[in-house]
Amino acid sequence: MFELIIGGSGSGKSEYAENLAMNLAREEYLPLYYIATMLPYGEEGKKRIERHQKLRAGKGFYTIECYVNLRRLVLPARGIVLLECLSNLTANEMFEDDGAKEQTTEAVLSGVSKVREGSRHLVVVTNDIFSDGITYDETTVRYQKYLGEANQRLAAMADQVTEVVCGIPLQLKNTLQKTEMRDKCESVVEQL
Amino acid sequence: MILIVGGAFQGKKAYARQTFSLEETDITDGGSCELEEIFQARALSHFHEYIRRCLEADRDVSTLPEMLGKKNPQVILIANELGSGVVPTEAFDREYRETVGRLCCALAKEAEEVHRVVCGIGRVIKYG
Repeated sequence: MFELIIGGSGSGKSEYAENLAMNLAREEYLPLYYIATMLPYGEEGKKRIERHQKLRAGKGFYTIECYVNLRRLVLPARGIVLLECLSNLTANEMFEDDGAKEQTTEAVLSGVSKVREGSRHLVVVTNDIFSDGITYDETTVRYQKYLGEANQRLAAMADQVTEVVCGIPLQLKNTLQKTEMRDKCESVVEQL
Repeated sequence: MILIVGGAFQGKKAYARQTFSLEETDITDGGSCELEEIFQARALSHFHEYIRRCLEADRDVSTLPEMLGKKNPQVILIANELGSGVVPTEAFDREYRETVGRLCCALAKEAEEVHRVVCGIGRVIKYG
């Protein structure tokens, strides 16, 4: 299963994603990995990371740091993976010295696909940075474009897409339910 | 408690008035009111503006959801969703939008109902 979770800043998307991943790992007795993508820039950055570490504490996550080149990441075993978050990964690929630069979207997508193949269930957190109506400089617009494209492509790949608003999950896509329904319908038809 | 959220200029207040039969005078403006007025208000609009003023004055707002739950559990709160943009360059703006977001998460937990308004159309995203 691959679920993409989107929300704005402070929407509660991380907490929702962590609980989802944790429950999946518990249900299937599988290892739980957290792929951390945020580079600790400055005091505020460190505080943000500490806040997230506290949120995750005691939930059983094994943290793996990966700032660029996700496709090269080797997971210790096949388990449940939470990747957080796509907006950092995209910014790193775009701006870091060893990032993919113009190939950012491709690097992000191939990285997520690789992780998807290597995991039982994958949960990816991404950010809604598209609705403030402000006209930014060329570089920032390019960043929005890369992330927007990645979000669209991943949403197309995902089995489930969820938007989180004030900590409340809103389902945008759920192919699993459709598959379940179809299976049920088919079995009923067979019985007839 | 009832929480109504949505982007700017989505018709949240008109939706609140219609849905909960409110008069304009039932609605206290978070852009200018005092803390005590919030505890008396039937409905409070511009909740995010109230938070902005608190942060500007360096007042702690972390206990507000709990206090509201105790002192005015029937209140209808109207707040903007602010988090769906590029990370602001100013530290204060970052703190502001994050604080409003976290408070809305906490208030949504307290609330019996959460409504989200887009283009004037409300959707109940939490009930009971």
